[in-house]
Amino acid sequence: MDIRFSGVSKIFYPDITALEDVYLEIPKGEFVYLVGPTGSGKTTLLRCITREVAPTRGQITVGSFSLRKISRVDLSIFRRDIGIIFQDFLLLPHLNVFENVAFVLEVLGAPQREVKERTGEILDQVNLWRRRFLYPPQLSGGEQQRVAIARAIVNAPSVLLADEPTGNLDLHTAEEIMQLIISINALGTTVIMATHNQYLVDAYRQRVIGIKAGRVVRDEKRGRYNLDGEF
Amino acid sequence: MGSFKYAVRDGSRLIIRHWGLSALTILTSMAVFYLIGASVLLVLNARHIVNMLEGELSVRAYLTSRANPSEVVETVSAIPHVVQVGIVTKENALEKLKARVGDWPTVLELLGENPLPDSIEVWVDKASSVKGVAQALTAITDISDVVYAGRLAEKLSQFSHFASQFSLAILIVAVTASAVVLFNTIRIAVYSKEEEIGIMLMVGATPTFVAMPFVLQGVILGGLGSLGASSLLAFSYKGVIARLKDILPFLPFLEDGVVIMELGLILVGAGATVSLIASLVAVETFTKKAMKPL
Repeated sequence: MDIRFSGVSKIFYPDITALEDVYLEIPKGEFVYLVGPTGSGKTTLLRCITREVAPTRGQITVGSFSLRKISRVDLSIFRRDIGIIFQDFLLLPHLNVFENVAFVLEVLGAPQREVKERTGEILDQVNLWRRRFLYPPQLSGGEQQRVAIARAIVNAPSVLLADEPTGNLDLHTAEEIMQLIISINALGTTVIMATHNQYLVDAYRQRVIGIKAGRVVRDEKRGRYNLDGEF
Repeated sequence: MGSFKYAVRDGSRLIIRHWGLSALTILTSMAVFYLIGASVLLVLNARHIVNMLEGELSVRAYLTSRANPSEVVETVSAIPHVVQVGIVTKENALEKLKARVGDWPTVLELLGENPLPDSIEVWVDKASSVKGVAQALTAITDISDVVYAGRLAEKLSQFSHFASQFSLAILIVAVTASAVVLFNTIRIAVYSKEEEIGIMLMVGATPTFVAMPFVLQGVILGGLGSLGASSLLAFSYKGVIARLKDILPFLPFLEDGVVIMELGLILVGAGATVSLIASLVAVETFTKKAMKPL
């Protein structure tokens, strides 16, 4: 799914400008890093794509969906094609690893056999099959993040949004997670990843969009994290 | 099919997880629907008695001590719409009274000489003629008093009208109270799963899918409450009517089992419907807010 931002601005009440006149074009299958200082608007931009945030001005289209006016049912259908990885994982503590991942397919009404098969495949892919009966508090940070990734990709979404997916992890684990996300992108999933991890951005060179005070200040095809102190 | 299984599984889990609140909700619904059922039965009984009394085609006229019963019968027989006239002598009246008081013969001993008057029983052709004939009887000088069921029916009709209005007020207050309790129970259940619902909506679950377990929870709780109320009402009504018949043997109370069963079914249906609406409103309010963008 192509993602297009046309003159998008978001002003939170009373006068906090989170995004200002953003124009973006992200083709299907691309890998994009969103970089910028804390509070620059990266998370707001990601939340505009999931329509948790509605722009004050401008237009966002994702594939065939125009997000300006979308019914609740269409929004549900649209969100089924978007996978989200949160910095703080947002796993359900009373469900085990398998149930946390299977939950997505269950709420989408998939038959039980498909739920079991697909969840098994994904847990194998993120190397968590042996830990499927453990609960989130019994897992390390890296393992929790891998569960969150498994949950985000179990229904094979076209777009994967990752908000600081390595923010709470050590470098070694962060690299593992990064390789996993790269492998998901290699299968054709569009990935947009907001990050502060300079090492990863510079080591796995991809398109970099720099945001500062809500504005897109740079957009480079194979960019670096921090060019001459500027985002 | 998967969605229905999920709703049943999660709906049951919600009831068990909040078992204290669930029990309280069932009890409240039970009390509310018992109250509604009892007031409906009161109105139905009042109407039933009125209808029965209005259909009574006889008028009792008490004679003065100087009256000659045979002459009075002759005069009364000539009144239009009168089809039959019978004499009840003071001796017959005393025998009937003795039969009625049964265990209290001392009461009759205290009365001494038979104080009861002679009377006549007048049958008319149709219910609408009763009042006219009664008025004609009052005009006869040998008749001291006229008693007919219609007079009681008129008074009971006024009571029935009042009872209907009172019952309607109870219905409105009780249904509102039940709906509010159910709404709050479901709202607490919804908020206890706030995080889970948030994730469900983010991964693309439809609001209907999210609502299903909560609606099922509400319908089960409200349905169980009203079912309990119906059973209790049917059981207690039998006892109450048995006692009332002892106290007021001359009143024809409603004893039709089909009517009681129909009322029970209506109560269960109403309980389930009120719960359905209250649950839908509670969960819909939440999902609407959760899906609204900032």
